[in-house]
Amino acid sequence: MWGGITVLAVLYLGPSIPAPYDQKVPAFVKRIFTKKIQPGLDLQGGLHLVYSVDIDKAIGAKVDRIASDIEERLAVKTKGFKIDREGRDEILFTFTPPSDSAKLDDKVLDNYRNAVDEISRDSGAGQVRLRLDPDQAAEVKEYALRQGIETIRGRVDKFGVAEPTILKRGDDIVIELPGLKPEDFERIKQIIGRTAQLEFKLVDDGAEYMTKVAASVTQGGKITVVPEPWTDKNGTQHNNISIRTPVRTDLEAFVAGLTGELEVPKDREFGYEEIQASSPDGTEVVGKTVWRAYLLHRRASVTGEYLAAAELSYDQQTNRPEVAFTMDRQGAVLMERLTGQNVGRKMAIVLDGKINSAPEIQSQIGERGRITLGGFGDPFKAQQEAKDLVAVLRSGALPAPLTKSYESQVGPTLGADTVADAKWAMLIGAFAVVLFMLIYYRTAGVIANIAMMLNVVFMLAILAAFEAALTLPGIAGLVLAVGMAVDANIIIYERIREELRAGKSARSAVDAGFSRAFWTVFDAHVTNLMAAVVLYSYGSGPIRGFAVTLVIGILSNIATAVYMSRWMFELMLGRRGVVKQTISI
Amino acid sequence: MSDEKHKFFEIIKTGSDYEFVGRAKSAYAVSTVLIVGSILMLFINAFVIKSRGRVLNWGVDFRGGTELQVEFKKDVAISAVRAAVEGGGFTGVDVVRYGAGGGSDTGKKFLVRMGAVSVISPEKAAAAKAKISKIGEASLKSFALSEGGDVIYLRFDKPLENAAVRSALSSAGVEATDLKQDGLGLSYEARLIGLDVEVTKALEKSLGDGAVEDIPMVASVGAKAGRQLQIDGVKAVLGAMVLIMLYVGLRFDFRYGPGAILALLHDSIITIGAFALTYREFSLTTLAAVLTIIGFSVNDTIVIFDRIRENLARYRDRKLERVVNLSINETLSRTIWTSGTLLFVTLAMNIFASGVIRDFAFAMNVGVIVGTYSSIYVAAPVVIWLTNRAAAQGKSVRASETTRRRRDAEAV
Repeated sequence: MWGGITVLAVLYLGPSIPAPYDQKVPAFVKRIFTKKIQPGLDLQGGLHLVYSVDIDKAIGAKVDRIASDIEERLAVKTKGFKIDREGRDEILFTFTPPSDSAKLDDKVLDNYRNAVDEISRDSGAGQVRLRLDPDQAAEVKEYALRQGIETIRGRVDKFGVAEPTILKRGDDIVIELPGLKPEDFERIKQIIGRTAQLEFKLVDDGAEYMTKVAASVTQGGKITVVPEPWTDKNGTQHNNISIRTPVRTDLEAFVAGLTGELEVPKDREFGYEEIQASSPDGTEVVGKTVWRAYLLHRRASVTGEYLAAAELSYDQQTNRPEVAFTMDRQGAVLMERLTGQNVGRKMAIVLDGKINSAPEIQSQIGERGRITLGGFGDPFKAQQEAKDLVAVLRSGALPAPLTKSYESQVGPTLGADTVADAKWAMLIGAFAVVLFMLIYYRTAGVIANIAMMLNVVFMLAILAAFEAALTLPGIAGLVLAVGMAVDANIIIYERIREELRAGKSARSAVDAGFSRAFWTVFDAHVTNLMAAVVLYSYGSGPIRGFAVTLVIGILSNIATAVYMSRWMFELMLGRRGVVKQTISI
Repeated sequence: MSDEKHKFFEIIKTGSDYEFVGRAKSAYAVSTVLIVGSILMLFINAFVIKSRGRVLNWGVDFRGGTELQVEFKKDVAISAVRAAVEGGGFTGVDVVRYGAGGGSDTGKKFLVRMGAVSVISPEKAAAAKAKISKIGEASLKSFALSEGGDVIYLRFDKPLENAAVRSALSSAGVEATDLKQDGLGLSYEARLIGLDVEVTKALEKSLGDGAVEDIPMVASVGAKAGRQLQIDGVKAVLGAMVLIMLYVGLRFDFRYGPGAILALLHDSIITIGAFALTYREFSLTTLAAVLTIIGFSVNDTIVIFDRIRENLARYRDRKLERVVNLSINETLSRTIWTSGTLLFVTLAMNIFASGVIRDFAFAMNVGVIVGTYSSIYVAAPVVIWLTNRAAAQGKSVRASETTRRRRDAEAV
């Protein structure tokens, strides 16, 4: 059994060892054992960033907007009031004369009934206190973090980093980009940290420019041209053209290649939307998506901050899901301007450069609007689409800036030097231990040494199997494991010596030694394990790598030092029935 | 019983009978001196030694700030490096040489540390804000420097062109690598140049173009993140100690737990004291070493406790102190050599490895030696003290021991 495990371990290690391995091993083995040990950030170089989402600022800004919005509404009714912002979440209205406080009634607060709660009203003093609903605040925080991660992921994807790690840790977003080249560090930092902006931009597909672009598309290539003519309410014909392709990067490359006559006009830009693929006769192809490019006005007509609310609702008649949104006062003005002049045109809702949806403007929208999503056969899917859009709108309403709290950039050369040194240390230390065990415990020492070496092999194999990252402290952990590996053996062997001195036969001494010492060995390992686990939960990055190697080392040590050595002792003691009096220990 | 004589290779002879428990008083003295000395050293570092100024030489992870490793093509003097960096407008600059080669004051590899995380100090930011308060027709409505010091958020009341804002910032002394405008043209995010780029510029301005060969590592930690790590670090160390004490209390009994914990505290304080004395860098890796020591030091303690428990059951007629002393003697080989093999490895790391691994190994060296010492001279005596106290107060002994006594009495 142990032989089998050893072979397995060596096979697992295979891919991590370069060159000669490749030629000698049959192909089927290579197909199964593909995982490698990953060098950690500090060894192969890369970028490690931690951003925290500035929720407080975002929420504070939101409450500011709500306050100024209510202020505008009140101003039509009365001039004698004062607004104070208290803390992040509260708004205090003080009215003179106090009776005017009644003017801040449900009608005024209607738009915000979900966002703020009225927590006190004192008609005598003329004071009304509002506070941001705590559930809202928590929800906003959740959305902001999640959206932050999605946005960053989308941005990092474009850089083609091999194994990016982007996760949430508490209120922070941790980003690890191993193997990133130093030339890319600045650029990626710029792009990652940008605050995601939700923008409403007008689509301008009917422009003559689009006809020119469409004409330049080579037939039968990756790009398809789809004309979409429509007539507006005045009876004018518009000839919209859209260009589509299955892969977004192809589209982006095409756009990037538009130069000279076809150069994108300064006040326009392209946006990209992922839509359901449809076959030539208009029916949709399930499961396939294509990307289409929209020509947009560069300047947004409205941005997300002007959104007051967004929620999922259902059309009264058709029962289809749709998104109902509310703008604040200033936003309403902007929205009226946008929609009033452009009925029939499309309005692209763009988040972080990606068009989430581009509904057609059916009528002028002021404060309240509804977005009906396109005709999808599957009602469940339509509902999902609507929910996604609501999420996008809600988080877009609250642009939360990302602030960098930790950054570590490592060039690729750093690792090479330090590893070389550590290798020496490991070899010399291991050699000293091996020598000691041999001199002090003779043949038993040999057994301990073999167990220790197998321990290292197992540890590396487990690291490879989990594709864990090996960091510099991780290597230190391996070295430590070598030092600790023989401890179990020392404890057991001293015990065996005691038993032998007490007069037991070789076999019974070995049995007694192993069984009596087992609990001591176990206790020692458990306490080390506890410390390592605490370290894992506390640390990050390289320290985590250390904790991981320590834990793996301890577990694998129990296996090799206790069970494997026992097995080897059995070999040394010979067959049962033959009584040996002494053993070399 | 066999008469075979077994010949083992032994350095610590069997049947040794060194006096440990009797020497406990002098050990207490030594321990007290070490602990008090360690704590005192922290204060001395902070208030007395001017060149140090802090209780410990905190690494950048805890202190906050930026640390860069800079490599030059030719040998440079430390003072020249520091002057160059300070010339770039940075304050709180500390330069240390590292790596082999060069003299004591000159070399090719340096560690540059500074308190700043941003290329813009708060003063510079305020000055810039004043300068761009009006661009053309638009007035600045809000100006905010992000906490990480890498972005400036601007908001104007009228839409502007990107280029206009960029040139205004530039004349205010703010270089932005990226200026992002929101769709309405009112809000801007100006991303500032990285510190490493600024430092390279400052270095090359003073020491010549192309003088800098490479910046292999930059680490930048916001003050808030650093403080959080400190707090979490203390929590982690205390948490590990509590866990281990609970475990020891579970496997042994209430008389042993406190001994283990005291030994751990003793070890942690003295190890930290060693860092206070030598003023070596106390980084995250060092803290990892402290946690590892906590896990490891209790190993020796458990070996001794195990034997004490076994001998207490076996030699019930002897005095407690003698039994404990015997137990320590019997397990001496075990105690010394388990620590010894670990020391082989950590000493090797200390001598041959470089940088942060070296400091880690130093911590481990101190911790292992002190840990072994504390198992013998702190943990065991505390067990004796607590047992005697319990007996004096008439507390009941462990049930299993009572049962065993009764059983043996019957057998006889």
